Amino acid sequence: MSEDNKVPTVQRFVAILWPSFVVSGIATILFFTAFDPIEIIGCVGGWDVSRMGYYSIGFFLFWLLTSLNSVLTCYFLKPCAIK
Amino acid sequence: MTEKNTQNVEITAVEEVYAKRKKIYPRQVTGLFASLRFSGVLSLLGLYYLGPLMQWNGRQAILFDLPARKFYIFEWIFWPQDFIYLAALLIIAAIALFLVTALAGRVWCGYACPQTVWTEAFLWIERKVEGSRAKQIKLDKKGWSWGKFRIKFTKHFIWITFSLLTGFVFVGWFTPITELTARTLSFELGPWEAFWIFFYGFATYGNAGWMREQVCMYMCPYARFQSAMFDKNTLVISYDEERGEPRGPRKKGSDYQTDGKGACVDCSLCVQVCPTGIDIRDGLQYQCIGCAACVDVCNEVMDKMGYQRNLVSYTTENALHGKKESFFRPRVLIYIILLSVISVALFTSIAQRVPLGLDVIRDRSSLYRETDDGMIENVYTLKIMNMDLKPHRYSLAVGGIDGLILKKQNKGIHVDSGAVLNYPVRIQAEADKLNAASTELMFYLNAIDDDALSVAKEGRFLGPVYK
Repeated sequence: MSEDNKVPTVQRFVAILWPSFVVSGIATILFFTAFDPIEIIGCVGGWDVSRMGYYSIGFFLFWLLTSLNSVLTCYFLKPCAIK
Repeated sequence: MTEKNTQNVEITAVEEVYAKRKKIYPRQVTGLFASLRFSGVLSLLGLYYLGPLMQWNGRQAILFDLPARKFYIFEWIFWPQDFIYLAALLIIAAIALFLVTALAGRVWCGYACPQTVWTEAFLWIERKVEGSRAKQIKLDKKGWSWGKFRIKFTKHFIWITFSLLTGFVFVGWFTPITELTARTLSFELGPWEAFWIFFYGFATYGNAGWMREQVCMYMCPYARFQSAMFDKNTLVISYDEERGEPRGPRKKGSDYQTDGKGACVDCSLCVQVCPTGIDIRDGLQYQCIGCAACVDVCNEVMDKMGYQRNLVSYTTENALHGKKESFFRPRVLIYIILLSVISVALFTSIAQRVPLGLDVIRDRSSLYRETDDGMIENVYTLKIMNMDLKPHRYSLAVGGIDGLILKKQNKGIHVDSGAVLNYPVRIQAEADKLNAASTELMFYLNAIDDDALSVAKEGRFLGPVYK
């Protein structure tokens, strides 16, 4: 456990936030190329937000999901206490 | 025992990778590669900041209009349907990067990467405000005083202003910049525009002002895999160990060779100029971004000493060891072939692109309807996209089933340039001409004023099954 603490907190944040940022960028591009948010909202109803707003919200939702993924990966990387 | 040893090794490795960062103060360099980088940085920054101001036929020449879901690139307009071109363009860029890396090493990192470009700009500002490397180190060691605060405040103020301008121009690539400027000046920015200006500005300030070489070391994926493209004929920055060692100080004018010394005077300037803080004399390292600052500064020293240049130089492993160099090796040829094939395919397909799109959407509310005179009727909505630069009139025809009748045919369908028209149509067929519950039919759309503009799209015609 002690060696775990040697990794600075900043580096852990980079390892979680940065890869998820990149992947959520790619996901945002792919998703909004295929689907026009205004058309989706037209089908299901929603708030009055511009396309730019939907892109941004979509990006941050993706980022939330992908960073959750990174958090779990980091968590499971911790060695188990098997004796 | 052995297990314990490996564990120890691992721990030191972790410590090395995540060692607490010592601030690096790159010393200013002059010389061939420094001027090359300066002109590269200047032209790339010029392209970035002035690019959105370029006009073409009364509109922004290059505009990735995300709010309108259209990309304008000079004469062309790209739609979400054209995503394949963007994908191809990215593949071309990636292979070009591989090719350049195989030939010349990390020139991308040293001269063209945005991280390098903006870091150079930020370093330039820092030098203007805080002075030379020695002055910067002295200032940081000093305790806080009014004078130090003023200098630091000035630096960060200029950095932040420059970053916000960068964020503003960034958004200007995606939304028309003249309107954006007007909205900014009248404080009417949309919330998301404002958000992205600050977000991108903050990222610029953080990456170029604070993170610097750590971005290359911890965040850049290319830095991790670029060595896979390297071979013995790749240009890298190397220290000529044979000539340089044993290094050491000497008296000016003395013949170092008779003193048993190498050409390296151990002035440590190559370490001082390095933006990633490494010693190139330790051999090629993963942190080296190939900026050649050490080459420039070492050549200066060699000139002063009256020694031969290029103790540190751009060279290949083969050249360094006196072996034959080859330019066209299999790896390079494969990259070139791939690059030319994809480029040719991309440009021919863009050139042959028909700037007209047609989507057929069946009416969702009913399958089919029987009319009073016994015909079977289906209703569709046609989505007609005029991707051309001028408005057109189109004529519509249907086929695929005998005796199809297209209701509501008129003198032509007018669609403005860059517009999408939802056009409802009713189509009738005789019931006995339909052999199945679902029959394929074709929609043909032709521009009346331009024969080259025509598309065909299939749809399904539903009817009752009598058999």
